[in-house]
Amino acid sequence: MRLEIGNFHVKEMTFGAKTAFSKGVLSINKEEALQVVREDEHIISAELHIVNPGDMVRLCPVKEAVEMRCKVKGGTHLFPGVTGELAPAGEGTLHALKGASVIVVGEHWGSFQDGLIDMGGPFQRNTLFGALRNLVLVADTDEVFEQREQQKKNRALRWAAMRLAEYVGSCLKDLTPEETEVFDLPPLNERSPEVQKLPGVVYVLQPQTQMEALGYNTLIYGWDGNRMLPTFMHPNEILDGAVVSGSFMPVSSKISTYQWQNSVTIRKIMAEHGKTLNFLGIIMSNLNVAMDQKQRSAQMVASMASNLGAAGAFVAEEGYGNPDVDFIQVLVELEKVGVKTVGIANECTGRDGASQPLVAIDEAANAIVSCGNVSQYLELPPMPVVLGELEAMARDGLSGGWEGCVKEDGSLVMENNGMFCADGVCGASLKTCREF
Amino acid sequence: MKAIAYLNQFFGQVGGEDQADYEPTLHEGTLGASGLLNSLMPHVEVTHTVVCGDNFAASHTEEAIKRILGFLEDKEFDLFFAGPAFMAGRYGNACGAIGKAVKERFGVPVISSMNEENPGVEMYKQALYIFPGGRKATFMKKDLEVMAAFGEKLATGQPLQCASEEGYYVRGIRHEVFLEEPVMAADRAVAMMLKKLKGEPFVSELPIPKMDKVTPAPAIPDLSNMTIALVTSGGIVPSDNPDRIQSASATKWGKYDISELEVFPVPDYKTIHAGYDPEAADTVPDRVVPLDAMRAYEKEGRFKKLYDYYYVTVGTGTTQGEAARMGREIAEDLKKAGVDAVILTAT
Repeated sequence: MRLEIGNFHVKEMTFGAKTAFSKGVLSINKEEALQVVREDEHIISAELHIVNPGDMVRLCPVKEAVEMRCKVKGGTHLFPGVTGELAPAGEGTLHALKGASVIVVGEHWGSFQDGLIDMGGPFQRNTLFGALRNLVLVADTDEVFEQREQQKKNRALRWAAMRLAEYVGSCLKDLTPEETEVFDLPPLNERSPEVQKLPGVVYVLQPQTQMEALGYNTLIYGWDGNRMLPTFMHPNEILDGAVVSGSFMPVSSKISTYQWQNSVTIRKIMAEHGKTLNFLGIIMSNLNVAMDQKQRSAQMVASMASNLGAAGAFVAEEGYGNPDVDFIQVLVELEKVGVKTVGIANECTGRDGASQPLVAIDEAANAIVSCGNVSQYLELPPMPVVLGELEAMARDGLSGGWEGCVKEDGSLVMENNGMFCADGVCGASLKTCREF
Repeated sequence: MKAIAYLNQFFGQVGGEDQADYEPTLHEGTLGASGLLNSLMPHVEVTHTVVCGDNFAASHTEEAIKRILGFLEDKEFDLFFAGPAFMAGRYGNACGAIGKAVKERFGVPVISSMNEENPGVEMYKQALYIFPGGRKATFMKKDLEVMAAFGEKLATGQPLQCASEEGYYVRGIRHEVFLEEPVMAADRAVAMMLKKLKGEPFVSELPIPKMDKVTPAPAIPDLSNMTIALVTSGGIVPSDNPDRIQSASATKWGKYDISELEVFPVPDYKTIHAGYDPEAADTVPDRVVPLDAMRAYEKEGRFKKLYDYYYVTVGTGTTQGEAARMGREIAEDLKKAGVDAVILTAT
């Protein structure tokens, strides 16, 4: 499978008469963009903003992030089975706006999985989105059935973000990219003997899929991950929009759609392919609730890895707490069949740092990269501009906040748990945990 | 800053093994080893020295702690030093037990030094800053210098680095840090994988801690005289959640009267647990807290009585430390009420 991604680096983002990209400047026709947002009649109020790294702006409650792209060859929509007809992903050509993202923020209502982004100040570095130029959609919907629910599907807003990303990205269609990245990974039996001599590795992904009710979980080609068994995928499929983030996981552990599109771990293993490793592919597993479901998925992952001839497996869990059981189980089953594992996960050690870092532990899990601490206590100073509604952090059951955590002056205390996609379990974390 | 030091009979200049039953005493200023400690710290003054015989501390630990805490009650101090204890087992345990009690009572940092083979390390490294020390008293100056340097660091407010950089034994306290050299998690994972595949040594960023496994209690053969209570981490609360128990990462538990109830009335009770789909639990809360079934068994006389209150917290994301604390508090309350057994339901 061969995927080309043509990159266009955004040096400046501005509202203008026409949605267009030229010489590093992304111009967006605000009215047209808002019309795309309002294609969904459930969106009852919408406004767009542009924020840049260093701006003293706080975004909350942030629900989702999507990279602005255009499928140029080998497909029509960015998210097959979600924003368009079902179609294979992973082949052809994409054009992508780099260093930029669409971010969607609730105008009023937050939910369990929502988070906070600071574009400037001491916490800018806590999320990778603090370093991007962001097109921020702040909107409200008529989804009253879930307005006061802690768990929200956030469907209208998440889909609006995807439509916006497609709309803005479409301005790249006929342009020539500044640079092109090629992701070319042939079928297993068509690889050269030199490559086949290298240790084969798989990347096992455990996206968040624990809600029994549909509409909250990670989607794979539009299919709810709760209703699937582990399956084999080509890494290009993920880079090309086969996976769309859900609306359930406490947000520091979440993998946003932007992060699926830009999977740092896939890119890194791809870069090693043919040099030090033979990248066999992705095993797309899931996270479950019942013990037998956890065990079934773990066994199937191990069987698949073993039968693909994997010597090693990278395993990442999109979650903490209960999902640690699935994570450890997969590591244990893989090690049992002789596949050497490296796990990528965050920890939850409590505010005093003294609690067991994962709910489940096992001696087989002897190689783990730690991406951060869910329960790290943070004290944020007031921010001159807030997009969204900061009070949501305290009022609406956001996983990092609690009643009274937002002060009158706009400062707040929270746990890292509510920092938007802060732990980068997709591989994009510059944090670790240490003994103190 | 002011500090108080703890020494055994030998280093407190009372005498050797024949004085090991020496009862705790408090001395103004320094004495023996605490004098050297004091001279090593320009920003810290050792105002008092506690001396206690190793035998007394080992065989009357509670009494020794009680008396020593009594000595310190009206003293002003910011730091507490204990030892160094080298490889001396009784001395190490005394430094640990007394240091831990001082830390818990007065909230001051406690600094000690012990050889890695001293049993006091395993027992007390979580409670105090214990630095690796020499095997015997010839290391006195060297070990004191390490303790003093850390005391100076605390006194002058220098930022503390992680345990491996400061040098004390790891305490099982983990916090997140941004890497000084920014290396993405994916790069760290690949580097670790390459080492593991080649059979080369590698360092996991999350060392697997020792398991804290609780052995289930043996079955109770005869329930006929038992009062049984219901306890749950499933988040079933009166619908207004009067104690504001958190939906995740809970730090609170509640206790609610069910003496007049046969089943949980809906919608007066519901779950606030954010870690599972609430639909089934909100429809029939008894499926999480089996009040209906317990009432039926109670009527059949399978056991004497269902306790008048049930206890509840939320398990999702709740740290082991908080869970253990809440468990202890609930257990104490149950014991006081004369409850004999508990059915603990989770989700």
